[in-house]
Amino acid sequence: MRSVSFRHGETIVLDNTSLHVPKGAMCVVTGANASGKSTLLYVSAGLVKPESGDCTLGGHRANLNRPSELFRKGIRLGLVFQEGGMLSNMNALANVALPLRYHADVLGISVREIEQRARAALDRVGLTRSEMYSLPAHLSFGVRKRLALARAIALNPNFFFFDDPDVGLDQDTAAIVQEILCRYRDDPEVTCLVATNRDILVDRLGVPGYTLQNGRLYERVRPRSVPPSSQRLA
Amino acid sequence: MFPKAPAEEEKEPSLASRLGSRMFERQQDMARLFGTLIGAMSSIFSPGDAARTVSVRVAIRQIFFTGVQALPLVGVIAVFVGATTVIQVQLMAAALPTDFLGRILVAIILRELAPFATAVVVAGRSGTAMATELGNMKANSEILGLASVGIDPLRFIVFPRIVGTVVSVLALTVYFGAMALLASYALSQMMGSSSFSALSGAFSDALVPEDLALFLIKGTGLGTMVGWLCCHYGLEVQTSPTEVPQMASHAVVMTLVACVIFNTVVTAGFYWIVGPPVH
Repeated sequence: MRSVSFRHGETIVLDNTSLHVPKGAMCVVTGANASGKSTLLYVSAGLVKPESGDCTLGGHRANLNRPSELFRKGIRLGLVFQEGGMLSNMNALANVALPLRYHADVLGISVREIEQRARAALDRVGLTRSEMYSLPAHLSFGVRKRLALARAIALNPNFFFFDDPDVGLDQDTAAIVQEILCRYRDDPEVTCLVATNRDILVDRLGVPGYTLQNGRLYERVRPRSVPPSSQRLA
Repeated sequence: MFPKAPAEEEKEPSLASRLGSRMFERQQDMARLFGTLIGAMSSIFSPGDAARTVSVRVAIRQIFFTGVQALPLVGVIAVFVGATTVIQVQLMAAALPTDFLGRILVAIILRELAPFATAVVVAGRSGTAMATELGNMKANSEILGLASVGIDPLRFIVFPRIVGTVVSVLALTVYFGAMALLASYALSQMMGSSSFSALSGAFSDALVPEDLALFLIKGTGLGTMVGWLCCHYGLEVQTSPTEVPQMASHAVVMTLVACVIFNTVVTAGFYWIVGPPVH
């Protein structure tokens, strides 16, 4: 992301902001509520067009009208939204299977493999059988969050974006999400960008971080009052 | 006490600058409007057999919701429209020959009311549903969610809906015409004004080969407008669910206006080519 600017009406969200995450690395962006972390994530993922500046993923520019072009070039995105993002008229299994079905020819998978892969992704995030056949509206917030994670991981993404991945989750669910995040952090094929304002997650991940303030990114300085991550996690 | 300094008055933008910015906004709106149609239609040429299969399934479902489920409503409207037309014509021109009634029914029912009334029913029934559905999807970040996993919103959402409304309007126009003519046959028989054979002969005499082209142009054009405009205005919702009903009503109003203008232009062009229906 190079020299990107973005405004919501009169509010400056990103002000000539640049960010480079090397391939296979993970980067954390923190910031106060409404500081523009989600917008930064969407712009970086090529889902929202910036007013100025340039944004590429693996050297490729995203086409807002044709996201599948990026997929065909081998850029597989995964984005876990803060809230929403799942099709409300499809059950959890169908939601996870839809992108697999849409890209079946690119991924080279059969109809049976689509089902198997969708179920495996849902199993990985701990969804029960009854939850798999429920509409997103009938699932709790935490389960919906895990469902969003399952849809993203089913595609084996090589660019992963997490928007407040563990906010509003109970301890067990947060642990599942954090464990998955750590696995992607250690995967040299996956480039990750995490937006959060939870120190506990930043400490657990232990990766370089930036703070978004007034539309600009600053290198993150950990507050002295925060105890070490091991204590916090305990 | 010092006298207060006069407060600096905020300068109002001049009329020219307001007009300029309004024109710029309209130009942007039109670019987005036609961008939706061009983007959706050009997705036919996008690669991806699997994506095509998924889009075809969505289109078939749309044809079921828009076409099949509207059959009873369109049937009832067609019967009453056919009956009303026969009553009006019989009362006003009882002394006129049967072929005149046939010509009027072809001109009014088959060429005008069948495609237009069908488009109005589809816009009112399915257009509002599409605009509301897409508006809610936009407000709930579902569209963004689709894009995030590499699914093209125009190909997966808009194109199948346009195809669905075009196929449905074409099929429902035929159904409307058939039902209205049946009702007019039946009513004219009951009124004892003309025989079945005389009326059917008058119908076939009144029809010209160009009527097929008129049917295809009107059906395809009106169907495209309903699908395109309702999807576009649905997708114009930004983030708030309160925008959804506003956009849905705006979508239907704009669709109806566009359909009336399109229908008039095509009818004028048709009679310019084939000549007046009654000499």
